[in-house]
Amino acid sequence: MSPSSAVAEAAIARPSAGRHTLALFKSELQLVFGRVRTWVLLGVLAAVPVLIGVAIKLSGAEGGAEGFLGQIAGNGLFLIVASLGLSLPFFLPTAVTVISGESLAGESSLGTLRNLLTAPAGRSRLLAAKMVALAIFCLAATLTIWVAGLIVGFILFPVGDVLLLSGSTISLGEGLLRALAIAVVIALSLLGLAGIGLFVSSLTSTPLAAMAATFGTFIVLGIMSAIPQIDVIHPWLLMYGWTSFADLLRDPPYWDAIGRNLLLQAGYLAVFYAAAWARITSRDIV
Amino acid sequence: MGAAQRSRRWLVPVTAVAVVAGVGTLGPVVADASPKLPEISAQELLAKVQTAKVDGLSGTVHSSADLGLPALPGVTGGDSGSASGQLTEFLSGEHTARVAFAAPDKARVSVLDNMAERVLTTDGKSAWAYDSAKREAVKLQVPEHKSGKPEKLPQSYDPQAVAKQFLAAIDPSTKVDVSGTEKVAGRDAYKLRLTPKTDQTTVGSVTLAVDSKTYVPLQVTVLPRTGKDPAVEIGFTEVSFAVPAANTFTFTPPKGVEVTQPKAPTTRPDVPKSLPGKPDTAKKPDIKKPGTAANEPTVIGEGWSSVVMIKGVKLSGDGGPVDQFLAGAKSVEGSWGKGKIVTSKMVNALITDDGRVFAGLVTAQTLQDAAAKAPR
Amino acid sequence: MTETDGSPLVTRGLTKRFRGGQVAVDSVDLEVPAGSVFGFLGPNGSGKTTTIRMVLGLIAPTSGEVQLLGQPMPKASLRVLPHVGALVEGPAFYPFWSGQANLLRFDAADRTADPRTRKARAGEALERVGLSNAAGKKVRAYSLGMKQRLAIAVALMQRRDLLVLDEPTNGLDPQGTREVRNLIRELADDGTTIFTSTHLLAEVEQVCTHAAVMSRGRLIRQSSMTELRAELRPRLIVRTPDVTKAAETLQSLGVTDLRTVGETVEGDAGDLPIDKFAAGLVAADVRIHGFGLERPSLEEAFVALTGEGFDVAE
Repeated sequence: MSPSSAVAEAAIARPSAGRHTLALFKSELQLVFGRVRTWVLLGVLAAVPVLIGVAIKLSGAEGGAEGFLGQIAGNGLFLIVASLGLSLPFFLPTAVTVISGESLAGESSLGTLRNLLTAPAGRSRLLAAKMVALAIFCLAATLTIWVAGLIVGFILFPVGDVLLLSGSTISLGEGLLRALAIAVVIALSLLGLAGIGLFVSSLTSTPLAAMAATFGTFIVLGIMSAIPQIDVIHPWLLMYGWTSFADLLRDPPYWDAIGRNLLLQAGYLAVFYAAAWARITSRDIV
Repeated sequence: MGAAQRSRRWLVPVTAVAVVAGVGTLGPVVADASPKLPEISAQELLAKVQTAKVDGLSGTVHSSADLGLPALPGVTGGDSGSASGQLTEFLSGEHTARVAFAAPDKARVSVLDNMAERVLTTDGKSAWAYDSAKREAVKLQVPEHKSGKPEKLPQSYDPQAVAKQFLAAIDPSTKVDVSGTEKVAGRDAYKLRLTPKTDQTTVGSVTLAVDSKTYVPLQVTVLPRTGKDPAVEIGFTEVSFAVPAANTFTFTPPKGVEVTQPKAPTTRPDVPKSLPGKPDTAKKPDIKKPGTAANEPTVIGEGWSSVVMIKGVKLSGDGGPVDQFLAGAKSVEGSWGKGKIVTSKMVNALITDDGRVFAGLVTAQTLQDAAAKAPR
Repeated sequence: MTETDGSPLVTRGLTKRFRGGQVAVDSVDLEVPAGSVFGFLGPNGSGKTTTIRMVLGLIAPTSGEVQLLGQPMPKASLRVLPHVGALVEGPAFYPFWSGQANLLRFDAADRTADPRTRKARAGEALERVGLSNAAGKKVRAYSLGMKQRLAIAVALMQRRDLLVLDEPTNGLDPQGTREVRNLIRELADDGTTIFTSTHLLAEVEQVCTHAAVMSRGRLIRQSSMTELRAELRPRLIVRTPDVTKAAETLQSLGVTDLRTVGETVEGDAGDLPIDKFAAGLVAADVRIHGFGLERPSLEEAFVALTGEGFDVAE
């Protein structure tokens, strides 16, 4: 037997000892959640319901404000909904921008991308692991607000049956479930932005540049959403359906707009994930 | 892996863009493929529409209006509580409402606003208006004449009622034909097309999508004479002809909601008038401009070329947005005097210097002709 | 059977032209014999690292091909790379993690690595490079030498058929350099083929069985060390004012490749006995100021090959 066939055989033989494809995904989660930065971001998000709750408690505003904010004093559960709603335009996108901008550009700047690829992680699988970790971060971010809102809301305010937008009332338990569903829907609403961030991150070796570019894109899309003259393209813009989460508080929940929003997010994600894939699988890693 | 092979990878995201854009723009078109239905004449269809009767229905109505109205600050962002404010609100943009109806006198309309909801409901005994943004509920009295035509209240804001209003207006001035079939809200429907014969109007055609089983109009589309995009489209995106449960129509004011009950007896609940989606051609020009003290409007002409005249309009001379807007409008003059003409895709208006406003779904020339005939 | 068959690393016409048009690697044909310790020599900027990146599939060649463990790269990356330990262009780690955590992550990236033995293997690898005591310390606090060892530990997490080490002793003190050299010898004794790039000749002379030399993107020489050494034949050096007479005499005595530089005549004496030349020169009345045999150093040989000094960048 020639040495080459021995080598070739060895090369085929060992992987049969078992494939541990998910180990990288787990490691990726450890990387995202094993960093102080991530917990600072989550801490800032947790502070949103605390600040809103304390401010309302101190001002003693009884139903002065319109919308969810005005309902907090009467029912602490609305602190969850109001905090999620108020974090959606800025805090949540910022957090997603930071984590997604870091994802590939961070590895690139540290040089660890080389080690991962020669390990070998496989470029497509590494990208998938990055995206899954990002999605889980989105969910962790909204659940953080949910939990913090729940705790603060229950401590500071009376809680009880939940008044829906349609004027009917549901039990507190169902209200909590609806708030949880809102957290999940908002997390899913952030996936389009996460996809953009992942793609931008695949273009550069500077995490800060990736974050700035992603956030810049987000701002530009936001400005475009506010220009009435181009309302033809508004339904195509990333945040067009972001406020649809409130449809979960109707009786019964109105799913059409939520579904459209999630489809739009899936569209953004598909396009930018594919672009990130094309980039990362063809890029020279130096 | 050569460079060419690598650049070929970019075909994947490019394809993704194409697929997403394709699904987004073509998807609805594909879904709306014309179903095959037995032939029917316009007359038969008209008859069936007019006798259509359902015991109840529920569904989601979507309306979109693009009348080409200028965005006047203070009009769209104005007092949404007033009837005229709400009317102008629904004459632009898109709105979604949930409607439910049960014969003979139960109805509910919920306008799904952004992060809020406005509900109007009646179970035949009492009527409620609820605004989630303000958390205010208003209890309205329902007039006693139950035996009359109580369904007029709910029907005036579902497509069926809208269609009937159009049908009532049909006279020799209008060509009526069945122009095809389409799917609306997942149901097979005939398309009944009404085309004005006069060229004095800006209306190109009005098309009703009529359900092929119940003959309830499911959708109304108004096309302008020029251009392809509908000026008004209101219809079901989802509909069920099952009678909704009785508790759909009841309203119990929840805790923490302020309840008011107007003391002055209302002859009829005037609520429906303020509700969306009434592409009522005869009344559409009745948009009260802010800052005007309008007299009772008079209608000049008839049918498609009707023009509404409002006398004694005093346009604010304070250099406000209305003045700025009018400054850019075209000046015209004729035997009737001098004035400014404001044109848009559907609605045209003539504002004379002596304080009269002529408006209608008619051409600018028709407005001037009407002005010449009108009493001072 | 050609020699290529057993070779764990073969390149054919490997070329990389960067976007600017600059040719970093020009048509390189490498052939690393199985079981060898292969020194990949060249000054900084001669294209060694670019070649290694192409070998490991990190960058795509403009043209040419790479066979790693008998499989085409980068197509077979996922199958082949688990059997190849690599250290490319300096150590790279997550500074906010401990050395051990870093090892675990890179091992987790290899789906053929058994998660049950991961910790144990990390412990062994750390011990082998002498980092057991610093295993729990954040890499941020590591010295460059420690990071370099940790990078080698990454390559040692599994039993490998081939180690590709890019400048493994960079940043190490003399003691560390010695340790790495010993480690390489040990691994080679276990049967691992080692392909190591360096710009230090001493390393090559001390541990390598084979060597190749890169210069300005081209591979200008590759052979076994035995062959190289054999070519470094001793030269007869005669210092004399009578250069012409001396050259004539030596030629008649059978010395070839004669050259005259100033007052020095030198030539290839082959296996002829040296005392015969001394006697012959004296007999020919040549005045002798100096006489002897000189063996050229490897460095001189490579300078002759590359036409440049070894520590020169660019």
